[in-house]
Amino acid sequence: MVDTAARRSVLPTSGPLAVRVKRFGEVARDVLSNPTTVVGLVIIVALIGVALLAPLITEPNRPDPYQMPRDWTALNEPPGTPGHLLGTTSTGGDVLYGVLWGARTSLQMSAIVVSITMVVGTIMGSIAGFIGGKVDEVIMRIVDVFLAIPELIFALAIAAVLGPSFANIIFALTVVFWVKYARIIRGQIIHVKQNEYVDAARVIGDSRFNIYRRDVLPNSITPVVVQATLDMGNIVLVGATLSFIGLAEAGLAEWGVLVSEGQAGISAGRWWASTIPGAMVFLWALAFNLFGDGLRDVLDPRTEGR
Amino acid sequence: MTTLRDDTPPVGRRVEAEPVITLRAVQKYFPVREGVFQQIVGNVQAVDGVSFDVPRGQTVGLVGESGCGKTTLGRCIAGLTDTTGGGVYFRLSDRDRRFLDEFDGTPAERRTSEQRAQAAAIDAAHRIDRLKGDAWRVYRRNCQFVFQDAFSSLNPRQLVKDIVGRPLRVHREASGADLIGRVVALLESVGLGRQHLYRYPHQFSGGQRQRISIARALALDPEFIVLDEPTSALDVSVQSQILNLLHELQQERGLTYLFITHDLGVVRLMSDKIVVMYLGEVVEQAGADELFASPRHPYTEALLAANPDLLERGEEAEMRGLEGTVPDPARPPHGCRFHTRCPVATPRCGWEVDDAVAWLLDNTTVLNEMSGVERTSDFEATLRFGGDEASAEARSLLDGEAPRPMRSALVELGVHGPELRIRFDPIERVRLDDVGEGHLTSCILHTGCAEGG
Amino acid sequence: MTAEATMPAGRTTAPLVASVDGLKVYFQTKAGLVRAVDGVSFDILDGEILGLVGETGCGKSVTARSFLRLIPTPPGVYAGGRIDFWSREAREHVAPPVDLLKISPADLLTIRGNRIAMIFQDPGKALNPAMPIGDQVAEVFYQHRSQELLDVWEGRAPRIMRRAASQRTRTIERLALRFPPLRSQARRLRRRVDELVAGALAETQIPNPRKIMSSYPHELSGGMKQRVMIAQALACNPDLLIADEPTTALDVTIQARIVELIRELQERHQTAVLYITHDLSLVRRVADRIAVMYAGRIAEMGDTDDVFYEPQHPYTRGLLAAVPSFAHKRGELSAIEGTVPELIDPAAACRFNTRCAHATDLCRSVDPALIARPGHRTVACHAYASPEMLGVAADRLPHVDGGPL
Repeated sequence: MVDTAARRSVLPTSGPLAVRVKRFGEVARDVLSNPTTVVGLVIIVALIGVALLAPLITEPNRPDPYQMPRDWTALNEPPGTPGHLLGTTSTGGDVLYGVLWGARTSLQMSAIVVSITMVVGTIMGSIAGFIGGKVDEVIMRIVDVFLAIPELIFALAIAAVLGPSFANIIFALTVVFWVKYARIIRGQIIHVKQNEYVDAARVIGDSRFNIYRRDVLPNSITPVVVQATLDMGNIVLVGATLSFIGLAEAGLAEWGVLVSEGQAGISAGRWWASTIPGAMVFLWALAFNLFGDGLRDVLDPRTEGR
Repeated sequence: MTTLRDDTPPVGRRVEAEPVITLRAVQKYFPVREGVFQQIVGNVQAVDGVSFDVPRGQTVGLVGESGCGKTTLGRCIAGLTDTTGGGVYFRLSDRDRRFLDEFDGTPAERRTSEQRAQAAAIDAAHRIDRLKGDAWRVYRRNCQFVFQDAFSSLNPRQLVKDIVGRPLRVHREASGADLIGRVVALLESVGLGRQHLYRYPHQFSGGQRQRISIARALALDPEFIVLDEPTSALDVSVQSQILNLLHELQQERGLTYLFITHDLGVVRLMSDKIVVMYLGEVVEQAGADELFASPRHPYTEALLAANPDLLERGEEAEMRGLEGTVPDPARPPHGCRFHTRCPVATPRCGWEVDDAVAWLLDNTTVLNEMSGVERTSDFEATLRFGGDEASAEARSLLDGEAPRPMRSALVELGVHGPELRIRFDPIERVRLDDVGEGHLTSCILHTGCAEGG
Repeated sequence: MTAEATMPAGRTTAPLVASVDGLKVYFQTKAGLVRAVDGVSFDILDGEILGLVGETGCGKSVTARSFLRLIPTPPGVYAGGRIDFWSREAREHVAPPVDLLKISPADLLTIRGNRIAMIFQDPGKALNPAMPIGDQVAEVFYQHRSQELLDVWEGRAPRIMRRAASQRTRTIERLALRFPPLRSQARRLRRRVDELVAGALAETQIPNPRKIMSSYPHELSGGMKQRVMIAQALACNPDLLIADEPTTALDVTIQARIVELIRELQERHQTAVLYITHDLSLVRRVADRIAVMYAGRIAEMGDTDDVFYEPQHPYTRGLLAAVPSFAHKRGELSAIEGTVPELIDPAAACRFNTRCAHATDLCRSVDPALIARPGHRTVACHAYASPEMLGVAADRLPHVDGGPL
């Protein structure tokens, strides 16, 4: 039984020392006050800008802009060569083109995968958390099985079976990454459901769906947003790894593919074809992780669900 | 019987109709699960056979300490928690209630099929867990709840206008400008104003949040509100404002309240009738003044002694407490559940093996020598010790130093070698009885009756 | 100082245990500097129970925790004042007091748990869930009463045992203590400690102390845990016990038992007690004298019965009238209008003026100081300090009607 007297809140709930949920404006202000988070945000904006502006900076390749253009007259040129600012690969691919259009493919990959996984994971996790009982058990056992397999190996297996293609990589990543969201939101929902405002909505006579939509979901969604931000970075990391080992089409304008192509040249001192795309992957993942961490600190889970 | 239209009596007539809520042997058990397969090993008997009614237009105070089941009962009444036994009835007429009493009193084989049909019809029309469709909606609109912690009972992401207007929207009573108008009227009736419409809960103080909570409860113009410790988390100066407000609203709107609290001063002030609960059962029930003037149960007396009135002077003003702790609600004591702590317990209060063992455990070291217990029933057992001296010592301790009522209740206390046999006269339950003018108590000192197993 | 003015009748010979003078404790927050305690002064006499009463946010808990410097110093700041403390030795040898706010951390450690003990609202949080009760209470003895533990050896304790008694053994020594020649010595020490611990627990009327000593905190009820805390606090016979809402989290009937216990123990050991609570009816039954706090200041102080039957400060009067009692009729509880002011950059005015029915211009522009009144009482209200300045005749002062409203 709840000890009624002990529920007298020890933390102040109003006034300057209060603990409470933050509004969007406050979140924005708090996020921008942390230098590392701002750095992450700036890099993200730059990368996305680059991805969107790629067709304007470099002439898109015909017929398929996502295939690396080959200039057979300029093989293995180092960075600084006129016309090929970041150098070329052993097959005449322009590294700058690869960097810019690689950003586009990375953005596509992460955006598509994160959108789908977030939606699917949230739906499944919500059903499990809100309905509970056997449904919850079944869904969570499936989630457990998925989570037991290391992400990279799992994605690798799926993509390998389906055949090398960028679309298959995206598919594999989607299959692997949705479970995290299910687990996160289920945990949050179970916690939030215990709040009295949920009971208050039941006493009013509101339908279960409305209670979910207006009371439970908005107060449970924050960790999902944080996870999505972090995943934007990590998905590219895993995706690049998969394409590095050859699970994407050859010649794709994608950072992992480029790293793989330029590998052979490293021992001969031709670092640029491999290192520059590799650094881009690192930068992308770093930026989203910095921003995501900062976001998580600001949206401190201790004030959620109140 | 009849289908229920929404004929909530108008404010002026509200005092004359039937009781708003009738509880009949309401029971709520929570299963206790253990082990890998989550087997049910027992039940927490949070509410165990509670019956009383809430007369229209009055305030019934439900009082007790933590673990007594009052909050669980409040939630059952408001439809937030299902009952595991018994029923909560809405607007049950006296005639129907008498019929149900008779029906329950008739043994199953002698009930005719018309009687069964009639009982089923009454249930379908009044029992809240059987209501459907319109009948359910009428109940839902007329029975509201105010929670203890205003902070967690308001959605932190919703504006006040949405919080208070929600009942109106859910039941499609108003929308748009009309809705805003009604919300403003509600806010004004609880001492807030139009300026508070577009704010979030965290921008208010505790007292103001509770007012918002009350405004929300009033939105559908209900006839009954369950108030679960509405002022326990508030400072004294704010509490008085809220209590005054609640009274004013009751006068204006003909409201009926179930006021749940552990604070005796507040319950005395606000209630017409008071129900005292202990460990899931009602131990005493009477009009407020009557209860305080002449309490007829040792637990009520203990509560009063522990909480003397602020203005009381002299000897009666001394604060006195109660020994012991509340027993485990999964294994409540037999007979009168209060007997383990009662200062005036008698041998007929339901003493059992657990009491003897608990006493030996707390006051002696002889149980260190005990090797096993064999229970024939809750009232009869054999304690096996390592040697003859130990069992003899246990016997002499129980005989000489144990509390007198327990000793007198022992029918058998015998040593056979290393074994000690204990046997009590089985007393399973005590009954709530009327000791005059609607004053009910379950203490056998006042009622003179106890039931054997 | 206020020392003489506050001594109640019949206690003129009681020495002081502690004296708080102009205590100021502020907190740095994003919204500004919160003046949680802003100029608080009172005395604690030997052997008395002083009740510090007030509602949420009045600063009573902060005041209590300042005695042992338990306020986290960012964001808290000890912005002024002093807390003088006379231990028993200091009083016997007529030595000067120590200022608890200024002594070194090492000196503070010798006082904490030893000369000044504290019990808190939630005993569950103050007890280590992973250690049996006996071990936890034993710590107090090892820390502060190690000399007594060595009684068993009648002054001829081997050096290693002396170190073991104050828990300053090195690892090698601890290992050595597990083996035969030293093991029996270690057991002797252990038995002695257990005796003292059982004695301390028995004093708080815990049934079967030995069984409790081997239990873990989660196996005990709230009331039992609070008794353990009290046992731990009183183990060293402190000069001052600070109780910060010790019974708020307990049921009413258990609360009454614990309060009875505190009073019995207090009488037996003649410990001074500073009892913090928001519960007016409770403090009435516990305290000898009461100080009422409001918005970081003391509003009024005096003997308990005096304050309850003739409250002088308008806030006290309003508060007492707001507590439900048999004199009240439904719907007629007195309510104090308004809310507690923000404590950030308060204006120079009486903090209560926005809610006071008798407020004047003087109240809105000048902060009243605590002044002494007959009957060993003090009040911080202009009406008593300078009725002429208020333009009010002396016989129309708020206190003339007397008694609760």
